[in-house]
Amino acid sequence: MKAFEFVAARDSQHAVALLAQYAPSVRVVAGGTDLLADLKFSSHVPKVVVDISRADDLRTIAVTEEGLSIGTLVTHTEIMRSPVIREMFPALVDAAHTIGAVQTRNLGTLGGNLVTAVPSMDSGPTLVALDARVTIDGSGGRRQIPLTEFFVGPRKTALKPDELLIEILIPKASLSKPTQFLKFGLRKGQALALVNVAAGFWPDWTKNVFTAPRIALGAVAPTVIRAPQAEAFLEGRAMTPEAMAEAGQIAVGEVKPISDFRASAGYRRDLVAVLTKRALEGAYALAQSRKKQ
Amino acid sequence: MVKVTVTVNGESRTASVPPETTLLKLLRESFNLTGAKLGCDVGDCGACTVIVDGKIVNSCLMLAGQADGRDVLTIEGLATMERLHPIQKAFEDKGSLQCGFCGPGVIMAAKALLDENPNPTVQEIRDGLAGNLCRCTGYTKMIEAVQVIARGTASGQVTAKSA
Repeated sequence: MKAFEFVAARDSQHAVALLAQYAPSVRVVAGGTDLLADLKFSSHVPKVVVDISRADDLRTIAVTEEGLSIGTLVTHTEIMRSPVIREMFPALVDAAHTIGAVQTRNLGTLGGNLVTAVPSMDSGPTLVALDARVTIDGSGGRRQIPLTEFFVGPRKTALKPDELLIEILIPKASLSKPTQFLKFGLRKGQALALVNVAAGFWPDWTKNVFTAPRIALGAVAPTVIRAPQAEAFLEGRAMTPEAMAEAGQIAVGEVKPISDFRASAGYRRDLVAVLTKRALEGAYALAQSRKKQ
Repeated sequence: MVKVTVTVNGESRTASVPPETTLLKLLRESFNLTGAKLGCDVGDCGACTVIVDGKIVNSCLMLAGQADGRDVLTIEGLATMERLHPIQKAFEDKGSLQCGFCGPGVIMAAKALLDENPNPTVQEIRDGLAGNLCRCTGYTKMIEAVQVIARGTASGQVTAKSA
């Protein structure tokens, strides 16, 4: 690795001050699972690396008036073990479990996974399907934007060099919304997604129809995307296996996958149809099991 | 230079290293603890696995400065002059390793798994060792060795916690 200066932040405020001081030639390290792999092979090494791994105020998981707040430093292992997340969002637990292996899940953070913004990231689809927002802090002040606007392109986010992603917020209206995450990789362990998908909706049991359906797809476009036409098709429609299959077919028309050494674009499109259908079925099963309780 | 003080295998050690030094390099080159191996250097292979504050990490992905003040356990911290750690003994009895390059990482991953979950299922063992690649063995005998410890049938009936 090429040389850089290392500065440890005490808390989020200190981190923001350090970013303001050293921007633009500065990078943030949290778990390091992406950044270090990057810096080892990159010719663009920043002058300064700010370590936020000790900023414990960024490590909380809490239900607030706004919704479920997850600090940027919460690791994938901590998501898998959080009682409140396990109860409300099994999809987030499943997504975290498919990331890397124990070692990387112990180090890697939710914020880091989002900031790296690779199109196949496993944290993205579930959060997008839950209408998550992110809170960003910087010398220009604090702002909150929808996660869909945070992702700008492959490995590109809306973050400015002096800004820090501090919180992921799942809004109150999405708390416990039945949602399922599915990933298809070439192996069971440590595989990148060929396609990943999260689907959820609120069931209207009196009319037996879908309401507020959400379908979010990863690894099939430059960023995690929603499938608005498939969502519009489901809105207000009867909750049937046929409707779920049809939504999967519609979603195929909304993705732009690439062919690479892992899979062809055609294979990825086929996966979108199948995984979208199965994720909707999974969300339906979760909704039913909660109804019985 | 960054001054780093870590507790390694129960002993406080200090070194001044360039800021871009990884924990793995600190262990191997400043402290002469060469059990943890440099394999892929990007967190895929697990050969560099050590336990930091009770959790396994890829030491190739942690900067030395991030480990400052933390508690690090490496493969060198398991055996005593008198005897192997029960997990090491089980790996020896089962013939779980061939070339052995992945061994220190696998054994640390097995230790962290058993410390948290003394009676893991085969699936839990596979999940616990998924971050450690072995190109010799096919993993079966490693899983059997962890099962031996889990059942408490290792020689001397010692448990994984005894180290």
